Amino acid sequence: MSGAIQVEGLRYRYHDGTEALRGVNFTIAPGECVGLLGPNGSGKSTLLLHLNGILPEKLLGDGAVRIAGQAITEGNLESVRRQVGLLFQDPDDQLFCPTVEEDVAFGPQQLGLSGKEIEARVDHSLGLVGLSGYGQRATHHLSHGEKRRVCLAGVLACEPTVLVLDEPTSDLDPRGRREFKTLLQGIPATKLIATHDLEWVVELCTRVIVLDGGVVVADGPTTDILNDEALMLAHGLEKPHILRHHHPH
Amino acid sequence: MHIPDGFLDGRTAATAAALSALGLGLALRQVRRELPPQRVPLLGLAAAFLFAAQMVNFPVAGGTSGHVVGGVLVAALLGPSAAIVVLTAVLIIQCFLFADGGVSALGANLFNMGILGAGGGYLVYRLVSSRLRGLRGQVTGVAFGGWASTVLAAIGCAGELAWSHTIAWSAGFPIMAGVHMVIGIGEGLIGALAFLAIVRMRPEILAERTPASGGTLPGGVLRYGLLAALGLAVFVAPFACPWPDGFESVAAKLGFDRQPTPVAGHALAPDYRLPGIKSAVGATALAGALGTVVVLGLALLLGRLLVRKRRDLTKESTKEPPW
Amino acid sequence: MVKDWLGHHHGFQNSPVHRLPAAVKLWAALAMIAGTVLVPWEWRAWFIAMVVLLSLATVLSRIGLWFLLRRLLLLSPFVLGVVLVNALQASVHKSWAELAARSGLCLFTVVLLANTTPFGKILTALRSARVPTLLVTTLALMHRYLFVLLDESERMRRARASRTFQRRRRMRWHVLGTVVGQLFVRASERAERIYAAMCARGWK
Repeated sequence: MSGAIQVEGLRYRYHDGTEALRGVNFTIAPGECVGLLGPNGSGKSTLLLHLNGILPEKLLGDGAVRIAGQAITEGNLESVRRQVGLLFQDPDDQLFCPTVEEDVAFGPQQLGLSGKEIEARVDHSLGLVGLSGYGQRATHHLSHGEKRRVCLAGVLACEPTVLVLDEPTSDLDPRGRREFKTLLQGIPATKLIATHDLEWVVELCTRVIVLDGGVVVADGPTTDILNDEALMLAHGLEKPHILRHHHPH
Repeated sequence: MHIPDGFLDGRTAATAAALSALGLGLALRQVRRELPPQRVPLLGLAAAFLFAAQMVNFPVAGGTSGHVVGGVLVAALLGPSAAIVVLTAVLIIQCFLFADGGVSALGANLFNMGILGAGGGYLVYRLVSSRLRGLRGQVTGVAFGGWASTVLAAIGCAGELAWSHTIAWSAGFPIMAGVHMVIGIGEGLIGALAFLAIVRMRPEILAERTPASGGTLPGGVLRYGLLAALGLAVFVAPFACPWPDGFESVAAKLGFDRQPTPVAGHALAPDYRLPGIKSAVGATALAGALGTVVVLGLALLLGRLLVRKRRDLTKESTKEPPW
Repeated sequence: MVKDWLGHHHGFQNSPVHRLPAAVKLWAALAMIAGTVLVPWEWRAWFIAMVVLLSLATVLSRIGLWFLLRRLLLLSPFVLGVVLVNALQASVHKSWAELAARSGLCLFTVVLLANTTPFGKILTALRSARVPTLLVTTLALMHRYLFVLLDESERMRRARASRTFQRRRRMRWHVLGTVVGQLFVRASERAERIYAAMCARGWK
């Protein structure tokens, strides 16, 4: 079955030999919104970097990771990165241009679009994240929430079919979290979100994958897995409060 | 040691700028050739790092404080060519955004701190670390090289100021060299400590730089040494060397004639000359040589203190990738 | 203070001076500086003209004079030392007044330029002047991450200070060295992540 993302037997070792990923398997269908949970050090970030070919450093093209049915190879890196938009954990790492406009335009520029198309994409993306008119602002002056939104705009400007996010709500205040959730809900792409924010996952994701020690230890509907207190505690997580109390809806 | 606008005349600024442009051009070409693409952002980040590190003040005797330049540290970690590019960026931003250093003096400042300082200091580092093997040699090299870079930069600076008739050589050189022989100790010390900390945390940063044999100096490094020597010959030699009689008139025509020793100059640097030695040049040279030997001894001692045993440091670091 | 200078919002204000294209301002400033450095001291008219021109520009830019002057008042011990030695010299080709005048006027020009022009635009002007790309990229990234690194270094120093109970000097040097070392390591790790982020959006 070909899905938007297909990972089969993915392994990865760090330079000093420790195994970060020990055979990860999962498939994500187009349009799904999936949460990726796990304790620190479980390999979540490392896994995400495999989804657009940044890792492994030498691409073997052996089919461990497939995007829309195609294995990632040196040859199709460009097309993979067009389809998979990756949002990094620290927005400062991703926001490397001096102004908002330049940063959001970076992706389209690399894609080789014309000046007018780039402008159109920049305006559209900034509008999507609610930051129209921020074009001339200097990137180092933005608030944390604004930085995250500009990063999202920069990724959306490439019009990806898959969105991969690494801890998007860390350092966000409650309002920022809510706004970001609404933003993401409005984007139709397939989404894989690595996060510690369990309440957020319940509100946003229909399915959850739990990673621990480099392997997938659970994969299923959000409420099923998050309600399984024993499982959660065993893997450095816990049952979120939102599920502890009965809500009228 | 950032020279502002107006302290150097046109001739000096232009000459220094020409030498620096040459050095920078060589450095850029070298960096483009040997720097792998994933290290390109590191140049910018290293420049930001240098700036932040230069904010670190350390106390110098008498209530004043010095601060590091960091050129040799960056050169030891990333190579002399990268260090020159990085220092250029730092100087440009310091000049334009912080009014530290003049626009017309950019060439001179880059020559002093980049080519004389980082380039010359790196040469010293390589010489020391090739004689003394292993980490101890490298740490000692960074310490002594850092000190040397400060002093070399100060000498170049004094030469340029004398060329421009802003300050007489006879006053400028002893003061600049003397003060910076002390400040340089801080540079060497902090550089060595930082270098050690970096190598212990992330040995792979250095792995690419360490030459296989550690013996011979590659041609690229000598280039900057030659450029530094050329600059010293241009800016310093006219003052430091006593002119043979026949050349005196030529020197006078070119404007290099020795300026009358000001009274104040004597008072300001009385202890720079050892008593009992008649020749002024001889006394200065001896004092300088003594100071250099003392600092070298200190650097060797530091190396011994900091690097106690030969350990396999690669096992100690956690090699998790930065994400 | 440094961060305050970096955070100058004045670059984005609206005034006749701000609205001038960055390239024009850059070349004008360079010409003014070159002139002020090269012109013989006897040509007092030039120096007077510079004062007039800079005053006019200051007024038109609607930036407070005191604000600009404050940025001038930071003089390094080195500069003061040179001026002092010069003043004490018996025979001089350059008087200390001349030194002060030339450098003061040039400094003011640079400060005015920096505060009326966003740095990104200066970079664009440099790029069109065929300054090597590698250097411009380095400048851009340095400027972008200066704030970030200064923040990190401040946080590190505060954390260390909170755990430093000894006032022995040896400890102090050791701490300085470690902080500087850690700062570099963090900078280099961040550089790697930035490279990954650039690749993720198609950088070749």
